[in-house]
Amino acid sequence: MYLVIVGGGKVGAPLASSLINEGHEVFVLDHDPDTVASLQRDLGMVATIGDATSVRALRDAGASRAGAIIATTDSDEDNLAACQLARTNFDVPRTIAVAHSPENAELFDLAGIDLVVNATDLVLSNLATALPAHPLIRLMPVADRSQELVAIKLPAAGTVVGSTLSELTLPYGTKIVLMITADGRSKTPDADTLVEAEDEIFALSPANSTAELWEFLTELR
Amino acid sequence: MNVIIVGAGNLGSSLARKLSDLGHRITVIEKNPKLVSLLPRGRVDSGAMTIILRDGSTGPAMIEAGIADADVFIAATGKDSLNGLAAQRAKSIFRVEEVMTAVKDEGARTLYDSLGITTINKASIAADQLVALLGEEK
Repeated sequence: MYLVIVGGGKVGAPLASSLINEGHEVFVLDHDPDTVASLQRDLGMVATIGDATSVRALRDAGASRAGAIIATTDSDEDNLAACQLARTNFDVPRTIAVAHSPENAELFDLAGIDLVVNATDLVLSNLATALPAHPLIRLMPVADRSQELVAIKLPAAGTVVGSTLSELTLPYGTKIVLMITADGRSKTPDADTLVEAEDEIFALSPANSTAELWEFLTELR
Repeated sequence: MNVIIVGAGNLGSSLARKLSDLGHRITVIEKNPKLVSLLPRGRVDSGAMTIILRDGSTGPAMIEAGIADADVFIAATGKDSLNGLAAQRAKSIFRVEEVMTAVKDEGARTLYDSLGITTINKASIAADQLVALLGEEK
């Protein structure tokens, strides 16, 4: 398939290279002469200097026979304009654009871009898996700071889910004072109270065992 | 009418001035403090014109400019693609009745026509006027 890539930078250059390796015919438009020179050195005559937000540059790049346009510049507005102009003026059947800001991603969707790659969302979702999703929230110190009131949200797949409170072996001195379910119902804790997925647990804990409590309550099956 | 103008370059600032002369309530969004100095000081001081020093293509800047009560939105920066993004946000997210955008590339006209956004092409307006003037001299 003939593919026009807009922007030959951090995203566009490796994309062009891998699409060529997969057997596609690729052409890259970039406004920066150095970027274009480096692409030509690495990949051959597959890049030219041009402003992809102008109809003429898109025409010169052969947009009218392109199977898709993929806009990968650092500028969200240029990515949107290139895709829209390619579709309106050259009937390019598939438009793909990188959107750096989440609010622009929403606008791109509304504007009918076929595939919107939201760079911020990708980074955030990768980070989220690497960071603790169930933080220990320290609400207030009590009793001369020897104890703390903390809140801990339980993971859905936690080892404690499905037990009653009397079955839990909490760190010494810990007292669970309130539980709020995922849908916002409060439960007054007693020995028979069932621990459910994504409950938020409010506990009074000796100051030196809050970390141990968090590990216990968020341990995954 | 409440008019929001993005960009205080030549086009944006003269639009702001003329529309303000006609009594409209003008808010200009411009991120470059130097360009803001082209706007009529007196109007700004009297509150007839408001300046928002931000990137006018973003939602938060538009909200600060009072887009919920805007009758007209004009994207008048020197960059076609930025104007296009701002105009489309005003039209499809904030549902402003009348949205206009400055374009340099005549080829963009088809696109904005299809979106219900009015285009202003300075070069073609100037050319039309010159042709009309020359025609009179024949």
